[in-house]
Amino acid sequence: MKKQVSLSKEYLKGVWENNPILIQLLGLCPTLAVTVSAINGLAMGLAATFVLVMSSLLISSIRKIIPNQIRIASFIVIIATFVTVVDLVMKAKFPDLSKALGPFIPLIVVNCVILGRQEAFASKNNPGRAFLDAVGMGTGFTIALLVLGGIREIIGSRTFFGLQVLPDQYEPWLIMILPAGAFLTLGLLLGISNMYTDRKKRTEHESIIAHYKRVGREDIAEQLEVK
Amino acid sequence: MTTETTAEPKQKVYFDLTTSPHLHSKWSTAKVMWFVNIALAPSVAAAIVFFGIYQAIIMVTAVAFAVGTEAAVQSVRKKQVTWFDGSAALTGLLLALTLPPNFSLSATAIGSVVAIGLGKQIFGGLGYNIFNPALVGRAFLQAAFPVQITTWTQPNFAVDGITSATPLAALKFDKILTETSSMAIGNVGGSLGETSAAAVLVGGIFLIVVGIVNWRIPLSMIIGMIVFGGIFWFINPDNPTPVFHIFAGSFLFGAMFMATDWVTSPITNKGMWMFGLGISLILVIIRIFGGLPEGVMYSILFMNAFVPLINRYTTPWVFGAIKAEKKNE
Amino acid sequence: MNKVTQMLLVLTSIGILAGGLLAMVSDWASPLIAANKKAETEAAIFRVQSEGKSYEKIKNAGFEVYKVMSENSLVIGYALVYEGNGFQGKIRLICGLTEDLEKIKSMEILEQVETPGLGTKVTEIPFTDQFKMLQTSPMVNMVKGVPPEDPNEIQAITGATISSKAVVEIINNGIAQMKKLRDAGGLK
Repeated sequence: MKKQVSLSKEYLKGVWENNPILIQLLGLCPTLAVTVSAINGLAMGLAATFVLVMSSLLISSIRKIIPNQIRIASFIVIIATFVTVVDLVMKAKFPDLSKALGPFIPLIVVNCVILGRQEAFASKNNPGRAFLDAVGMGTGFTIALLVLGGIREIIGSRTFFGLQVLPDQYEPWLIMILPAGAFLTLGLLLGISNMYTDRKKRTEHESIIAHYKRVGREDIAEQLEVK
Repeated sequence: MTTETTAEPKQKVYFDLTTSPHLHSKWSTAKVMWFVNIALAPSVAAAIVFFGIYQAIIMVTAVAFAVGTEAAVQSVRKKQVTWFDGSAALTGLLLALTLPPNFSLSATAIGSVVAIGLGKQIFGGLGYNIFNPALVGRAFLQAAFPVQITTWTQPNFAVDGITSATPLAALKFDKILTETSSMAIGNVGGSLGETSAAAVLVGGIFLIVVGIVNWRIPLSMIIGMIVFGGIFWFINPDNPTPVFHIFAGSFLFGAMFMATDWVTSPITNKGMWMFGLGISLILVIIRIFGGLPEGVMYSILFMNAFVPLINRYTTPWVFGAIKAEKKNE
Repeated sequence: MNKVTQMLLVLTSIGILAGGLLAMVSDWASPLIAANKKAETEAAIFRVQSEGKSYEKIKNAGFEVYKVMSENSLVIGYALVYEGNGFQGKIRLICGLTEDLEKIKSMEILEQVETPGLGTKVTEIPFTDQFKMLQTSPMVNMVKGVPPEDPNEIQAITGATISSKAVVEIINNGIAQMKKLRDAGGLK
């Protein structure tokens, strides 16, 4: 039995430490394709979160009766059902948004964030933890998409959630709302997040070295320094 | 007992080790870069003569921001600052020469920052970039400001005064053929450096003679153009002639200054031929079937991506080594 | 329980439950989706034929076209839905025509996948407004860089010549089809 982590950590790990987009690099297809505006990013994030939470809850509750051999097939059927529900509801209630997101709502079925969480987490943990994990991953996914969509919308069409935030003199960089802009923005975001993680690791490492020096074990400190 | 060993402080000595051969070239990076900058002088002069003194401000802006970005990125990354080797200045100047006349200065600055930042330094600086940095900047500007970058001003001594479109755009959208003689002198609409074929050729031949540019790349591009352009012209005489293809747009400028960049072109002779022919083939396809009138930039960037592969497959045999098949005989 | 039976049982019941749920949701959603679609078409028709009060689809036309009537059921014109190739994909537009097909009352783009920020300008008012009261004969013409002079001319969008041209071509093709249909008596 593996060590149980605290419930708050179960939720928070998806938001930052294991962020599906920035750390795990999962589900990049919808991430790159739909984030031309903040509202698209938010809607896509929420739709995926809904599917993720519902499927995680259901799969985690019936995890003991699903035979191992057919688990992937069962996961996909369950995920596809929820995706179709979301798709129909959006078409019926938010036709404009559904048009903007186009084929990417049905494609949530094959979004690896969702299948990945079922396989790696929901099928091995109780519904409570699975729920927290799914909400956390969904939050992380939504935040990443919202940030990406927001940056691209501000620079590419000088608006944020449809409101103009940059003056008319500013000439929008059309590249940002083209696919190339998605790759550039995501790449730079990944770079920044890696820089942050690296720096954190380095300070941790340095504090360990300082600790050994303080207690007079210079030999261990030196070994660590070489690494 | 520890006091004895620490009496003599430990001295660490570092050596730089590199594998042989240790060849010494008569060319230093800085010398090459400044020579290329000099070779661009005729094009710079032609741009100012044909399009006015404002173009000089565009070039200064592009160079200043390129050099500034280089210095800024290198100091942030705590690397040796090498802006004075002229490579950043060259990138800025090349970028400026691919821009249309009277292009906005803020956009020029963005182009320079992208060229150096995303085209060069993000890969690790000079020698590590896959794509020609000036063309990366140009491609970014093309995608970011498509309207401004295709707004052409008429040159100062325009004879016919029909349109301000470039010869290629005039041909593609309005089926008007421009005289080859005007294109050779440069009295047509187009980017700053590309319009005057004569000025480009003067600079290019200078670089070939002093030995900076390998003649194989420009020559293979021109031969490729004659062959591939000729095939399409032969199939359908409505397509432009190979001569038009060579003198129109930025073909010569690309062949002399962009494709021949040391970092992003193949190192073997056979590879250079493949590279040049490939550029011409893609260019002819873009010009004839594509939605855009011009494609020198995209075809060079596209072939840049193949350079590592070309290098790998055209590596000459090590002296004395036997081919694997021959061993079996 | 046998492993195979368990597998069959679990997957079948998941499938049945999923199907049942989807049937319920679909039952609720499909009338709403159909209503949305109808409302959308209706709104577009009345936008390009602003005096229209009712409309009727012309059958057997081979393409989508509506007869638009005023308050006292007099035919005041047509609303033509036509599509063709743009720069990257299909452009679908709706076009309000006078009864004699000689003038465009108004035009609107319904669907397009042009380059964002550039080709998409064909959907914006400065471009679409040029089609208001535009003459359709001999055909709609496009000029570049200069303001239009003739009553059948419009100005192309700078930098998006191909998209502008595509719209003009779609309209010309559509009107040609309409005229053919009228000559065959199909508009009665």
